[in-house]
Amino acid sequence: MTDENAWVLQAQQGSDEAFTQLVETYQKPVYNLCYRMLGEPETAEDAAQETFLRAYQNLHRYDSSRSFGTWILSIAAHYCIDRLRKKKFSVFSIDAEDEEGTPFEVADPASPDPEVESVKLEDRNRLHLMLKDLDPTDRAAVIMRYWYDYSEVEIAQALKLTVSAVKSRLHRSRRALAGMWQEEKSRAHPERRSRESLAF
Amino acid sequence: MNHLPFEEWLLNNSPVTPEQQRDLDLHLRTCAYCSALAETGKVLSSVKMATPAPGFTTRFQTRLAERKAADRRRKLWGALLFTLGGLVLLMWAVAPYLVSFFASPATWISAIVGWLVFIGTTLFALVDAGVVILSVIPNFLPPFAWLVLLSTFAGVGLLWSVSIWRFVRVPRGV
Repeated sequence: MTDENAWVLQAQQGSDEAFTQLVETYQKPVYNLCYRMLGEPETAEDAAQETFLRAYQNLHRYDSSRSFGTWILSIAAHYCIDRLRKKKFSVFSIDAEDEEGTPFEVADPASPDPEVESVKLEDRNRLHLMLKDLDPTDRAAVIMRYWYDYSEVEIAQALKLTVSAVKSRLHRSRRALAGMWQEEKSRAHPERRSRESLAF
Repeated sequence: MNHLPFEEWLLNNSPVTPEQQRDLDLHLRTCAYCSALAETGKVLSSVKMATPAPGFTTRFQTRLAERKAADRRRKLWGALLFTLGGLVLLMWAVAPYLVSFFASPATWISAIVGWLVFIGTTLFALVDAGVVILSVIPNFLPPFAWLVLLSTFAGVGLLWSVSIWRFVRVPRGV
């Protein structure tokens, strides 16, 4: 039995210490998923904490034949999707909050090629902003695929979708991201666009 | 412009032969969309994990303790109100009979019989009244009033169902 399985078993028997070990192990993946889904560190922290609380309260429902990581990420993804859907109908707009400034990843000063690193960083930050324009479930699928290297089957399990639905959502998201990327580039360099052939 | 088969290769990250790679490179030079698809793919494959602020576990423990205390308080108040309410109702219902029981058994038996007879006759009277009301009221109430009445019942029913559902539902993903 692995450490993780032992912690889950002990936590199911009421050990808060064992559950703390699980929080310690999964805080980064859960927080990252919430951050990529919601876009802001404060809301991501709140969502990650809520995810662990939900996991704690529903630990008796956890099926040990599944991976604990997939289970907890599934809770986090559904929580974030619900939160985004509620937010969509609330009076506050995402754009208004963005204007306050989303903290981005910062360049590593110890990098061997700071210029290349800086371009990569800019691209990553641009992509992070573009994720917000995807449908919440599509966004969750993209995050699980590229940040966690999950297979389509694992994503389907976590998001309660069929494998073909996951595949089509991933393709749709990639196309949408490419479209946004292309649009932004042509906005940034309008003179280039006139020389390029029409893509669609 | 025809993006096939390049779009499929890029979307599925399919392994390509050197010849296919050359064709793909040529296509990417002229197709802005596939070029964007390739670039976003490259960025997606170099993403990094975001890390929470230090002390996440401690903050979780505090939050868990607060949630447990709130749950305990809610359960305690619920149990207290339920018990007190039950006791008051019980006392209200039983007190007169207790008095008569301690006064004399004969009075107590006649009180019980009287009470049962009262319940029986009341039920019969209610059923009769209901039948009369149901046969008479439709002629008195305009259709609009029926509409309001039925909508109110439906609204209250819906509210009740939603409350029950919110109380018993399991969070998604669990």
